[in-house]
Amino acid sequence: MTIATYPRLLVAICAALIAGSLGYGLLQVPLQVNDSLPKIVDAEHSPGIWASFTSEIGTTDFRPLWVAEIKVLFDVSRGHVHLAYKAFHIALLLAAFGLFVAALRIETGVDLAASLFALCVLAGSNTFTGLVKEATPVNVYLPIVVFVLLAIRLSRSRHTWGVDAAAVLTLIAACLTLESGVLVWVALVAGRIAGRRGVSDRALVCATVVMAVYLVVRLTMLPLDTQNASGYLTERLEPEQIRARFGAGLSRFNVYTVLASISSVLFSEPRDGLFVALRAWEAGDVPPRMWINIVSSVITTVLIGLTACRLRSVTVAAEPHRDDMRADFFVFGALLAASAVASFAYAKDVVMSTAGVCYALVAFWAVRDHLIRVRRVGAAAAMAAVLLVASSLWAVRVVGMHHALRTQAFAFHNDWALMRYNLPQDPAGHRLVSALRDDALSRPVINPWFIPRWADRVFDIDF
Amino acid sequence: MARLTTLPAVCAAIPALVAVGFCGAICVAAMFGWTPTFWRGGPLTLAEAAALRDQAEVARLIEAGADPNAEYPLRPDVLSVNRATPLEAAVAARRPEIVSLLRLEGATLDGPGWHRLHCLAVEIGEVDVINAVDTYRPATGGPGSCTP
Repeated sequence: MTIATYPRLLVAICAALIAGSLGYGLLQVPLQVNDSLPKIVDAEHSPGIWASFTSEIGTTDFRPLWVAEIKVLFDVSRGHVHLAYKAFHIALLLAAFGLFVAALRIETGVDLAASLFALCVLAGSNTFTGLVKEATPVNVYLPIVVFVLLAIRLSRSRHTWGVDAAAVLTLIAACLTLESGVLVWVALVAGRIAGRRGVSDRALVCATVVMAVYLVVRLTMLPLDTQNASGYLTERLEPEQIRARFGAGLSRFNVYTVLASISSVLFSEPRDGLFVALRAWEAGDVPPRMWINIVSSVITTVLIGLTACRLRSVTVAAEPHRDDMRADFFVFGALLAASAVASFAYAKDVVMSTAGVCYALVAFWAVRDHLIRVRRVGAAAAMAAVLLVASSLWAVRVVGMHHALRTQAFAFHNDWALMRYNLPQDPAGHRLVSALRDDALSRPVINPWFIPRWADRVFDIDF
Repeated sequence: MARLTTLPAVCAAIPALVAVGFCGAICVAAMFGWTPTFWRGGPLTLAEAAALRDQAEVARLIEAGADPNAEYPLRPDVLSVNRATPLEAAVAARRPEIVSLLRLEGATLDGPGWHRLHCLAVEIGEVDVINAVDTYRPATGGPGSCTP
């Protein structure tokens, strides 16, 4: 037992409670119909895992590992399909929270306070919402967050051949899961540039070759369909509208989505490219949840910005973890920029989720830095007030995540009602969807009538 | 120095711990098999489910044996009446999708019943609701007049 054991244990318990409660919410939310059900039926029809894996070759999405996961989970579920997919989602959440806590340097009471703040930033962030709410039937972004956190962990660790191999395998797995998997390479390279020696140069060369091959295959040999609907200032544009207004090539729309994506991490606005608070302002009613989002993010970003500004002048004597802090800031900046560039075609908060997780990591350093630099009573009082406001607002956002889940549970529950009249014709598909429908309808969900009206104004839901 | 950092550190930690406490309460309730208060609603009658846009509950109740043509009590604040059939509740609450679902799930209307509901929909003035009610129109029934 070291002095760090107890604060770290306490933070780990808090992280487990947050992840566990979100897991409970996930179990209450029925499987989704529109996007999930066809994939579950496909998994049932697929003759095997390899067939599912290779079925993605030639598709515009190209997520072979993700499709194989859906098949594996279906096969191991033995009829408990809901439980299998939800359990996997919860396991990923626990892994993400576990790796996040492992990334924090927790040794003192100040570290403990900063860690608790960071946990709320992580779980309350608008970019985190999609990691919990989206499940089709397996969340495709959450594995990338786990892989990137794992890459950060590997680059921090002591170098061995095993670490090198794990880094390359993590990159391969991430790229086969989703295009955003290339962020693993960004995290590895940024970590190396920032001075971390866990992953060797040889492994980085190997990872770079893997990524180059992936990009060549993805961009030249597989079909691409990059344009989705996206927000633009205060309106939501469909792909046809985007092409009609801005043309088919690169345009100021792409510049907008890149900047909007960065802003959505730092300021919680815009959301999916849409300035929802501005739109609400124009409509004459800005609900408290929008103020809560913006004010909490602005305070946190200012704290992070102030710490970033003094990173150069920090000495090891003043901050024993200076190099770690600098490296995390650098990795965050790299991932924020890379994720934003990857969002050039359309803005979507969940695409920025990896940057959002690292935002929480640098929020830890920023709060810690401001706490240990307090020298005067007046400054301590001011800092206390600022942190009380920010932490309270982030705490509301964490509770709001549960509200978003119970709202979603009601919507997904209703989607199953009419499924009885749209059952597949083949006997196996008919049996499967009937069983899933019976299972979904038997799950009690809370009707919004029982929820106080103020909840939708205070807690963040779909915008 | 340590004393100076205590107050801001506590201010950063306490609200976060409150949020963690909320999450912990959900976990503890789940471990003991209870439904956490945050997730707890209440049982709905078929008419309430129809008025409150609860398609899944409408389907579940009917498939569990509830009569889609019977009259059910309504809690105060759901509608301005305290008893209604599911169809009346769906029309009064302006829920055309529920009106359509009830037809699929076996709700029926005779001529006078349809006329009364049609007139209620006309009074409400929503075209989608009127159209949904009119799918129940008996083959022999004429539109009639809705003026008193």
